[in-house]
Amino acid sequence: MKPAADDAAAPIMTAHRARLIGCRGCGRVWPESQELCNRCGTQLVPPDRRCLQAVWAWMAAGIIFYIPANLFPMLRTETFAGLQGNSNATIVGGVIELVRYGNWGVALIVFAASVVVPIGKFVAITWLALAAGRPATVASAHRRLHVFEVVEFIGRWSMIDVFVVAILSALVQLGFVASIHPGPAAASFALSVAFTMLSAQSFDPRLIWRGLPLRNRRDL
Amino acid sequence: MTDNDSDLKPASPVRKTAARAARAGISVIWLVPIVALIVTLGLAWNAYSGRGTLISVEFSDATGIIPGETALKFREITVGGVESVRFTSDLSRVVVNIRVDRDVAEYIDSDAEFWIVRPQVSAQGIQRLDTVLTGAFIEGFWDNEVGETQRNFTGLDRMPLTRVGQLGTWIVLSSDNAKGLTEGAPVTFRGVQVGTMQNLRLGRDDESVLADAFINAPHDQRLTTATVFWDISGFSVSLGPTGVAVNVSSVASLLQGGIEFATLTSGGQRVPQGHVFPLHPDEASARASVFIDEETLVRLSVQLEGNITGLEVGAEVRYRGLTVGRVTELSVRVDPDANDGAGAVYQQLTVALTPSRLGLPAETTPDETLDYLARRVENGLRAQVAGAGFFGISLVIDLIEIEDADPAELDRQARPHPLLPSVPGEVSGIADTAQGVLARVNDMPIEEVMRAATDMMNSITAIAANEDTRAVPASLRVAIDEIQGAAGELRAATAELRAGGAIGQMRGFVDEATLAAESVRIAADDVPDMVDRIEAAVDSFDEFDFPGISEKVSAILGDLRTMLGSEDAEQLPRNLSETLQAASGLLNDLRDGNAAGSLNEALVSARVAADRIAASTERMPEVTRRIEALLARADTVIAAYGNRSDFNNEAIGMMREMRRAANAFGSLARLIERNPRAFILGR
Repeated sequence: MKPAADDAAAPIMTAHRARLIGCRGCGRVWPESQELCNRCGTQLVPPDRRCLQAVWAWMAAGIIFYIPANLFPMLRTETFAGLQGNSNATIVGGVIELVRYGNWGVALIVFAASVVVPIGKFVAITWLALAAGRPATVASAHRRLHVFEVVEFIGRWSMIDVFVVAILSALVQLGFVASIHPGPAAASFALSVAFTMLSAQSFDPRLIWRGLPLRNRRDL
Repeated sequence: MTDNDSDLKPASPVRKTAARAARAGISVIWLVPIVALIVTLGLAWNAYSGRGTLISVEFSDATGIIPGETALKFREITVGGVESVRFTSDLSRVVVNIRVDRDVAEYIDSDAEFWIVRPQVSAQGIQRLDTVLTGAFIEGFWDNEVGETQRNFTGLDRMPLTRVGQLGTWIVLSSDNAKGLTEGAPVTFRGVQVGTMQNLRLGRDDESVLADAFINAPHDQRLTTATVFWDISGFSVSLGPTGVAVNVSSVASLLQGGIEFATLTSGGQRVPQGHVFPLHPDEASARASVFIDEETLVRLSVQLEGNITGLEVGAEVRYRGLTVGRVTELSVRVDPDANDGAGAVYQQLTVALTPSRLGLPAETTPDETLDYLARRVENGLRAQVAGAGFFGISLVIDLIEIEDADPAELDRQARPHPLLPSVPGEVSGIADTAQGVLARVNDMPIEEVMRAATDMMNSITAIAANEDTRAVPASLRVAIDEIQGAAGELRAATAELRAGGAIGQMRGFVDEATLAAESVRIAADDVPDMVDRIEAAVDSFDEFDFPGISEKVSAILGDLRTMLGSEDAEQLPRNLSETLQAASGLLNDLRDGNAAGSLNEALVSARVAADRIAASTERMPEVTRRIEALLARADTVIAAYGNRSDFNNEAIGMMREMRRAANAFGSLARLIERNPRAFILGR
């Protein structure tokens, strides 16, 4: 362990190298021959690049739904029963309008939650999926793990937009005076976020470490 | 560990085959993005195909139109929205691009109409006040038939009164002027609105004003060719024997005008769309026109000379007291060749005659009517201006038959209408008479009469002031003195004559003198007669024979003056005194007492005559007073006429004021209509 700690490039002990297999459900480590986790009953699957297909597929679906989520209106506001006109605000249109009204803070939050985070997630997952299983140093492997953890943590916060829409359309039902309905973009956005989260979940973080022993073993 | 190693061995191939299989095949998970793609594409296609058709509508301005917000409504349901607004290339109008829902877009064809709905304030009330809150929107209307697609439209400036596809009948109303009529005026039947009038315009020949009126179904069933329309605009004031009557139909009709119609006779046919009805100025003339059928009307020209004041368009043409037509046009025609090149100006009238009123069958053609009229003209039928009405102020055209008229014929070649010969009119009637009375009062030589009367007074004063007249008593006294003297002498003479027998001669002499005095008295008796005649003349003067009376009066006064001014009259007292002097001269020679008594009688007679002259002189001021009274009465008559015109002026002034007030209200209404927000916001 000592040389490993001293040299970052030195091979470190991984479950794979120890011929163990980790349970994705509870994290218990079993011998590779074990079929089912005795603790939680989850089927033990060895890390496999095949699961990256699911990552790619979910992400593709997420990206596909992200396009209409930005093109269609998010909120449909009816003032005076639609007599005074309907305002159909898309996400970016809403941000621009907020900026025009001087609400920089709110605009920033909406922009971050609706644009920066989803796109950042796409980029991060793509990067992870591309890098998964590729040769890596220990440091880069740690970086990948951090990125993955951040993506998983922050992913759910993208739903803040959907929540806002849901709460607004539930609260602002003043009948004749004003009412807010979710637009088609709200569903698309929710689907997009969900698919992105599924994509992030499909990613097997064990693949991050998979690259290390392969290279190190080859090097050895 | 070996166990573990041996366990590992079989696991490896299994894993490898699995990995190979995964690499070879495609995971089921890929169905997810495929489904997502299909769904998204479906959404996109749905949005694209459902976004509707773009049409552009031109408006003069785009008041209240906001791109992205303003809606297009059809029957109050939103069927589209304004996408963008731009100008036409010459900046004169705006083009509004509207995205119309796909399901109604196919119905929008050439008959579609678009207009901007804004609040409207009119005499009929305030409409579309809701748009003050919600903002303007564009309303469209089209029928339910799919026609040839059209994508560019010209918007209407205001809401059309009738919508496409509305059931009813369009008719055209033709009138002389549009006085009191405005767009949107109601068409009523027995006071119930059954239609509206719009599109007020001048006729192509500029002679008439045309307006379209739409009678809603089922009320259009009431329209027949025998229907008459009349104007109920404003109010009417009629002055009649029962007083002043003011009729106002409704405030709306006062401001906006209105049209009423009625079908007074049966037998008319159903009217086609676009049938032209004449619009009569009031109900009376509409009802009078019932039997006039425009198609069989015969139009004739009549040339008149002289003043035709009071003859108006619409005046009756009468034949034996019955109305057979109307005057439709008044114009002046100059004939430069008349009067040997001196030129002449005629009033040329156009009259329209109804053949059925002339006793001809209803189906008579105009040519047959003209043939008939031509024959009648040969038999002496002529047109003539005649007075009519209570005051005789309005004139009518009389068709009269003159037995021995100068030969004339109906000039059928004349343009624009055949020329009916005319004879000079005898305009008579009370008005004319009254005018004549006034004219004659005006022309009466009142000043001359007064002058003559003054002259007469002067003459009488002159007689009274004449020294000769004054000399009469003196002369008489002298005469009496002389007579007394003479009496003394007479006594002596008598005494002498008694012896000579001359007394008988003397008595005969005195008798002659008495006769002379008597004849003077008889002459004086004529003076009262003369005064009586003046009185009679004044009486007849009272009986409106002013010119004759004034002539007579002046003649009589002239006679009187001549008589009084004549030397004979002036000489009368002198003659008297001369006679007396002569008598005294005679008496000087006489000395008989009987002669004095006879002379006394003669003097009494002379005094009676003088008294009568004086009495008649006293009556002269009375004549003057009566003339004055008469003049005062004439003055009153004239003053009364003056009051009458004052009343007229005031009435006209009041009408003007009301008209101005109505105008002001109208302009306020127009302002609010144009800029309704001003009404709300106060600016």
